[in-house]
Amino acid sequence: MTESRLITLSRHLLLLVFAAISLYPVLTVVSISLRPGDQLQSTDLAIIPPNWTLAAYRELFTEQPFLRWLANSLLVSTLVTFTGVVLASIAGYALSRFKFIGRQATMLAILTTQMFPATMLLLPLYILIAKLHLVDTFLGLLVFYVSTALPFCIWQMKGFYDTIPPSLEEAAHIDGCSQASAFWRIILPIAVPGLVITALFSFMTAWSEYIVAAQVLQDRDMFTLPLGIKSFQASMSTQWALYAAASLLVSVPVVVVFLALSRYLVSGMTLGAVKE
Amino acid sequence: MGCQSHGGVLLQKWFAIWCLCLLVGCAETESRRVVTLWHQMVPRDRVMLEKLVAEFEATHPEIDVRTLYKETEELRSGFQTAALAGIGPELVYGPSDVLGTFHAMGIVGDMSPWVSSEEAGEFVEGALTYLPDSQDPERRALVQVPDRFGNHLALVYNRNFISKPPTTTDEMIELAVANTRDSDGDGRKDRYGLVWNFVEPFFAIPFLTGYGAWVFDDSGKPIPALDTPQSVTAYQFILSLQKKYGVVPRNCDYETADSLFKSGKAAMTINGDWSWTDYLETEGIDAAVSPLPIVSETGKPMAPMVSPKGYSLNALVSPEAAEDAMQFVQFMTSTNAQRKFMELVRILPARKKLLDDPLIQTDPTLAASKEQFDRGRIMPVDIEMRAVWDAMRPPYQSLLGGNTTPAAAARTMQAKALHSIKIIQQESAGTQYLWLWQLAGLVICGGLIVSQRESLLGLLPDMRRQPLAYLLIAPALVTMFATVVFPFFYNVLLSLSNMSLRNFQEWSIVGLQNYLDVFTEARFFSVLLKTLVWTFVNVFFHVGIGVALAIALNGPIRGKSLYRVMLIIPWAVPAYITALTWRSMFHYDYGAVNLLLGKFLGIAPLNWLGEPGLAFTACIVANVWLGYPFMMVIALGGLQGIPLELYEAARIDGANRWQQFRNVTLPLLKPVLAPAVVLGGIWTFNNLNVIWLVSNGGEPADQTHILVSYVYKAVFSFYRYGYGAALSMVIFVLLLGVSLYSLHRTRATESVYT
Repeated sequence: MTESRLITLSRHLLLLVFAAISLYPVLTVVSISLRPGDQLQSTDLAIIPPNWTLAAYRELFTEQPFLRWLANSLLVSTLVTFTGVVLASIAGYALSRFKFIGRQATMLAILTTQMFPATMLLLPLYILIAKLHLVDTFLGLLVFYVSTALPFCIWQMKGFYDTIPPSLEEAAHIDGCSQASAFWRIILPIAVPGLVITALFSFMTAWSEYIVAAQVLQDRDMFTLPLGIKSFQASMSTQWALYAAASLLVSVPVVVVFLALSRYLVSGMTLGAVKE
Repeated sequence: MGCQSHGGVLLQKWFAIWCLCLLVGCAETESRRVVTLWHQMVPRDRVMLEKLVAEFEATHPEIDVRTLYKETEELRSGFQTAALAGIGPELVYGPSDVLGTFHAMGIVGDMSPWVSSEEAGEFVEGALTYLPDSQDPERRALVQVPDRFGNHLALVYNRNFISKPPTTTDEMIELAVANTRDSDGDGRKDRYGLVWNFVEPFFAIPFLTGYGAWVFDDSGKPIPALDTPQSVTAYQFILSLQKKYGVVPRNCDYETADSLFKSGKAAMTINGDWSWTDYLETEGIDAAVSPLPIVSETGKPMAPMVSPKGYSLNALVSPEAAEDAMQFVQFMTSTNAQRKFMELVRILPARKKLLDDPLIQTDPTLAASKEQFDRGRIMPVDIEMRAVWDAMRPPYQSLLGGNTTPAAAARTMQAKALHSIKIIQQESAGTQYLWLWQLAGLVICGGLIVSQRESLLGLLPDMRRQPLAYLLIAPALVTMFATVVFPFFYNVLLSLSNMSLRNFQEWSIVGLQNYLDVFTEARFFSVLLKTLVWTFVNVFFHVGIGVALAIALNGPIRGKSLYRVMLIIPWAVPAYITALTWRSMFHYDYGAVNLLLGKFLGIAPLNWLGEPGLAFTACIVANVWLGYPFMMVIALGGLQGIPLELYEAARIDGANRWQQFRNVTLPLLKPVLAPAVVLGGIWTFNNLNVIWLVSNGGEPADQTHILVSYVYKAVFSFYRYGYGAALSMVIFVLLLGVSLYSLHRTRATESVYT
């Protein structure tokens, strides 16, 4: 009894310490967003600056096309999430359950797409985008983001399928289910935590990216949020309050998405029901 | 079977929505002729820009001007890339210092057909930038028409503390010393006498000129003269302000200086004309601008660099488009438009007539600005200037950090500058043995096919045997390789080529020279070692902290969802702002880290951002913070898949908690965690942003680079595209090797149940 109480206590302690570490730098961002006169740094540690103002938030919504950028970002990220989850969940299944030729090579090839420094890919990527007339289209972004998110998502889904005993599908087979319907009805529901991670990751890939977006999108009305925020930055004259306020607002949807999905992440259908 | 058709309908619906959304992004039609302008005007200027564009469009209804803001570096690299791809904007607007580069690359055109010699005479001397034609040195191309001329530094002082600005450096020191004080006696100064972007060489130029030094020698050619007795004395003087008089704070970068002055904690600052209106409007201080003082020792004024800002024409646009674009340029650089900007942002115009405008006499800021401008020296636009900045920065920062002497710093600067110029100017011819390289390529491809012939031959029968496997994986593979294959092979070619500033548009294959350069570069192995440390330490803490937190969160605990949300915050808030807040948290005087270390552990303040080792540690700490929530989420997901029965069974077998963790949790977490660890390693290895933001591009003295930031610097500072590509290929092969090895060792591709 005392041992378990001790454990609970140390769990709380660990979580509290890290919650504080996680929050403090972000509180500094809050402080920047409230500071008048665009100062990145502060000479004191007060979170609420002495003459704080909400002007930056007001300006974001009234004078800047913030909502437009938000809508663009939501559209792009949602599409990337859907496409990423669908493609990764089926590809990961194939890699986990089929012994086809070139399976190992495929898994490695998927990984290799992440190994080349992105800096050097920008130039040819831009030429590609230009030649395919994808400048100022969301399609260009979508294809690129999905392919950036996929390697991790596929590996992740394969990892999750790997933890599910194949005996489950075999049992379904005996019950007369085809492989496809066994996948849809039995495997996918068990792999929900994996799907959630895949969805979160795809969403984040699209949500926070700006380097490629800066190449593809040149019409200010099509800007995604990170691009919009970047436009507050200038060498030696950044609008820090707007920059910080917008960055904080950008993270709100992420937290909402996470909250909505984390229900499945921590209490998804577990294997506890499986009788081996 | 019911489940299947239900799924089918759902998929169809998704697909329809997906297609519909894509169409939204593609529908737009053109009727007017478009002139695109990429500019880097600050927010205040953008308002005026939009007004003037509207005015222009009203008189030129057939032309549609589209403006796009890009940050200085982004505009530079973006314009180069876009021009190469053949779809750049018609016009770019920016400072003159990039013109030499653009001209050498052949991406800015000659605007002189549109500016008559009579009109050219109306501009202030030196405002129009001409550069000699590479083919015909007699001909000069007009590469920029300016709308302002200045961009110079001056002294800004707070009248609450200083009634009369200093006219000599002795007076300046006296005022600065008198205003550097610690009134509450806590050991931390609450006011500094003089603050400025101490670590940036551009801000050291007025000191150099005040002591009679300059970046180039008197030959009229861009030959660096960084190692002169005059410059050594100037550096000694700069150093004495911090070390001897203590009037400049430590870690005083641009943002620190700006914040200190704006919050009334600094009596004087040195900053450029872009910042003055902001200071004048800041509440709580009473700012005024004055020319920089005269150096008491030499009697010479501290002279800043001055440079015009204006419009340049893309060399690769059609004559018709150029005609439209130039109409807009003429409108924007007219007396009328320049006057409006001058009124709004208090920046000096580029037309002579406007310099006689009464506003310049009556407005104290403009008057001071004009006085300072007249003492200034025009910033050279030669490409050598970039090499000079780059050579100055590291030794200058080591000097300020107390790691070298002024004389040694000046010597290193000069040597580095000469070396960098050689690299930038490097011109090399293509190889005559191109066929050899083509043959080699064919042999490699052929060899690969032959060695894999059995698999390849077996592919078709296997596809027929289990088509589902191939069908499931095909869409993902096609998407990925569509975006990767072309860029990859393009880079392979580039790595064998001589693409550089001098061979920008017409590059050719030169062979393995770039690879040779990679391995003979003295710093390669030390940077590689640093990269490995960076990767290993980061991934270790990401996984360690992530798994620990996931285990603490797993199972019933009070406040679970609150904890969960708080713990993913570092992942949710964009890194491009939090990395910067980490930088300020590591500030010597005002950062939270030093304060906490002092308060709870009694550790004396550490110079986090000024010492190479500590700066690197600071980057790691920031990146660990950014990365653990992701691993925590993965681990949380993985823990759900572990059947509780396994723990029960282990308990019955008498396993303690550690044994349960070792023998149940870890092995079952492995398949889920393995991809995250392997990919996390790859991402960390190639993570440019955090290092760049926290160390401000490799500060101090380029000592915090990892391989990717090194590539970035090679490409964007020295235009060594071929070299950058070769270095990237080396990184690629390294990562491939390490991943292959670790996957083999951990058998991460294998299922636990097989």
